[in-house]
Amino acid sequence: MEEQDLIKGLQASDRQVQEYLYEKYSRALYGVIRRIIFDQELAEEVFHDAFLKITKKIGSYDETKGRLYTWMANICRNAAIDKTRSREFSESSKTNTIDDYVYGMESESGTASAVDGIGVRELMEDLNEEQRLVMECIYFKGYTHTEVAEAHAIPLGTVKSRVRSALQVLKKKADKI
Amino acid sequence: MDIQAYISSGKLELFVLGDLNETEQQEVLSLAKKYPEIQQEIEDIEAAMFAFDTASGSEPSNAVKNKIFASLDAERETETSPKELEEKEVRLYPAANPWKPFAVAASLTAVLAIGAAAYFGYRYYEAEERVLLALEQNATLADNLQRTQVRLDQLDADTKQLLSGNFDRVPMKGEGLPMQEDARVDVFWDRESSEVFLSVNQLAELDENSDYQLWAIGEDGPVGIGLVNPAEKLNLQAMQAAGEVQAFAITIEPKGGSESPTLEKLVVLGEVS
Repeated sequence: MEEQDLIKGLQASDRQVQEYLYEKYSRALYGVIRRIIFDQELAEEVFHDAFLKITKKIGSYDETKGRLYTWMANICRNAAIDKTRSREFSESSKTNTIDDYVYGMESESGTASAVDGIGVRELMEDLNEEQRLVMECIYFKGYTHTEVAEAHAIPLGTVKSRVRSALQVLKKKADKI
Repeated sequence: MDIQAYISSGKLELFVLGDLNETEQQEVLSLAKKYPEIQQEIEDIEAAMFAFDTASGSEPSNAVKNKIFASLDAERETETSPKELEEKEVRLYPAANPWKPFAVAASLTAVLAIGAAAYFGYRYYEAEERVLLALEQNATLADNLQRTQVRLDQLDADTKQLLSGNFDRVPMKGEGLPMQEDARVDVFWDRESSEVFLSVNQLAELDENSDYQLWAIGEDGPVGIGLVNPAEKLNLQAMQAAGEVQAFAITIEPKGGSESPTLEKLVVLGEVS
């Protein structure tokens, strides 16, 4: 299905199109949330709300600003981040601060064990320590690049170029999958 | 510009991750329109992220999938448009209306403005009243002044008349006559110019159907030379000219005067000396 037909179907609340959307994107979108929220029950609750929000707010999606998936992933990422800042979250699980990710993927609070499938660990094995840190903080956890630069005393330009190089590595890796 | 350097800066990755501010986003979007390489790179990054997220992601449970579609089905059934829902919300929670403070402020301002308008309106009305009153008083004063001026002119003229002419004073009295014992009227007569003036000293008021008439009595008998106003006291009243006169007399006549005097109603009489 073309992205335009998909959007039209979603705007018309077409059940079949909604199912198609779910089949195609649920895995990736749920993955985005799960990297931020370790707790499965809470992550699924956020995913439920975010998916409904996507179908409701499809009218405000502007295709000149990026692909449909990018828009949906940002909705899911923001919904998960909002949840981690809520009272419910701080009561139900340990709130990770940005400093917890200094130790990277090997730390207990890392995402390696949080997801199944191929596994983030395998996908990330070609990244060096520095690239892993920025990927963890920005791509996975949704911190801003300025927050990461400040927390780890890294110049802004360096943070950006590390995000760039890390994604180049992952791009090659993803192409092979 | 160096497109490759821009692409390698890492800014496009942050753009896709939604980690740029509004200004930077606009910059990337306009550059992407201009340079196909940048547009292509953005699409590559999006595709890579989707591929990575799909590969590293995991299926949510069937429970959550069922819950999601149950929610979507429920929404379809209610057939309530989001707009109507929003309107309902507004009605249910009017306090949440962000314009409320402004509306309150506007109402308050309106009330104050109305109060001020009423106050100043009243003040204006009062001032208007005072101005009208002042104008009225002014007109009265002007009128009085005018009358005084006229009277002054008249007195002036009388004085000049008396001083310039050669007038004889002929006192007329009511003594010995049956009508008014205390009546006294003076006639001023210039024999040369024949001019006659009259000044009332004491004369009773008459009913509205009668008039006092002055008679000049000469050799040809009495001649009526004017009506006398008894209210205008000690003031010169101009009469008609009289040449040869032996005596002056005043009688009471019907309104407007008569051709010949009604002698029974003779009030005063004065002989020329």
